[in-house]
Amino acid sequence: MQRVLSFEQTPPLSVPLRFFLSAPLFATVAALVLLWHGPDALASRWTPVTLALTHLLTLGFLSMCMIGALLQILPVVAGIDIPHSRRTAAIAHALLVVGTLVLATAFLLASPLLFRLALPLLLLAFAWLFGAGLRGVWRTAHSTAMLSAIRFALAALIVTVVLGAVAASGFAWPLSLPLMQITDLHASWGLLGWTGLLVAGVAYQVVPMFQVTPVYPQRVQRWFAGTTFLLLTALTSASLLAVQRPWQLALAALIACVYGLFGGITLYLLAKRKRPKADPTTLFWRTSLGSLLAGIVLWIAGSLFPAVGEAPAYPILLGILFIVGFAYSVINGMLYKIVPFLIWYHLQNILSGGVTKAPNVKQILPDADAEKQFRIHLFALFALLGSTLAPEWLPRLAALVFGYSSVSLWLNLLKASRVYRRMAVPPDTASDALQRPS
Amino acid sequence: MNQPHNDKQDDIQIDVCGLEPPEPLERVLEGLTRLAAGQRLRVLIPREPHPLYSILERNGYLHETTCREDYLYEILIWQKAGA
Repeated sequence: MQRVLSFEQTPPLSVPLRFFLSAPLFATVAALVLLWHGPDALASRWTPVTLALTHLLTLGFLSMCMIGALLQILPVVAGIDIPHSRRTAAIAHALLVVGTLVLATAFLLASPLLFRLALPLLLLAFAWLFGAGLRGVWRTAHSTAMLSAIRFALAALIVTVVLGAVAASGFAWPLSLPLMQITDLHASWGLLGWTGLLVAGVAYQVVPMFQVTPVYPQRVQRWFAGTTFLLLTALTSASLLAVQRPWQLALAALIACVYGLFGGITLYLLAKRKRPKADPTTLFWRTSLGSLLAGIVLWIAGSLFPAVGEAPAYPILLGILFIVGFAYSVINGMLYKIVPFLIWYHLQNILSGGVTKAPNVKQILPDADAEKQFRIHLFALFALLGSTLAPEWLPRLAALVFGYSSVSLWLNLLKASRVYRRMAVPPDTASDALQRPS
Repeated sequence: MNQPHNDKQDDIQIDVCGLEPPEPLERVLEGLTRLAAGQRLRVLIPREPHPLYSILERNGYLHETTCREDYLYEILIWQKAGA
């Protein structure tokens, strides 16, 4: 028997919302970069434009939303105190926004000077986030499968940041570094560690809760994050020690199996959901998991058949499937549950001390708007994938559609925020909550 | 904890399993408006409803949470004396 009273710690709406409202703008900037550069942007994973695009999406969209979500859910779900949450979020957000823009520009202009500027900005953003905001994650005695996955995801983020900083130093100063190896490890930890583990950890809670499905098997919840983290550590060690390629492939294959299992189980749970009609977030989840499984199949084909693995389009296709198909889709979909719920919750608390009814979540963000944006996103995803096969003319069309999708997402979230501004009584609270991204 | 001494059968029971957020919270708030003096609200829910607690606190309610063997949570809610 217990009595929990930790919810005085629920952070103000402005804490997560500033991250959520900024993220689609970074995706829009990525679309503009793709529109401007066209086919060059997808010619190879090593071109400056591709690297700029990748970081606009991974730092600007994915990490932006993931950090915003963490600052919201850690106090609410695990009772973890985020000290001075408003200030902590504002500083981390500002550093992340400026740091990401400077880094993307550094790639585009191949400017060592801008790399030297981006490095301290982003290192400070993450140092501030860990030091000022997320200290409690490691201290709390609270222990659930979700929190354990979050801890592994954050540890993977630290590895990603360190490897990224080393790689960026190679662009900033004339150092002799094995940049391709470092970049591969940086991408593995960023995508399969930080992004994948956080998505899975959050999925344990939000899939049964918002999709009304059976819960994940206890064993999967208990083992997934730790196993993946261990395999990534083994793969990194094998790479650094130059262990023979078949062993490295075997470790990578195990990681693919673990993610395949997560994808398969989640799709199975979604098939068992108690409501027959798929809502927009269900559609985003299916797209995300379909992309994950397609990426795994492509990776297996690339590993078995050199003709596939050595094709120039192969790494770009894998990147699009994982970053846009898997991670972007699922975060986009989850925003449609999290944002209306938070607005509803804060309004519920403001209106007559919590006993007057706030507008329904479907009124705050109508399903029709979300579903329309889903269709545009799906079209954009296929156009992006097609761009790698028809690079002459499809990239610019893909850029237009992806830009349209990102702007639609931003407008949908903004409209939902306006419901809060309209209904929340104290005007200063509302203006603070709706502070525009810098 | 000063719980009213009433029988379990006097409690209002709500099962919110299988509902999508924020419907469970809405049902509980609606249930609170139906509570008579000394009566308690007994809620069955598949997860611990953290966001509910601050709302209860603000509105003068006390609660007790029990995790059952089937991993469902039972939340017993009643009005604070003098609230």
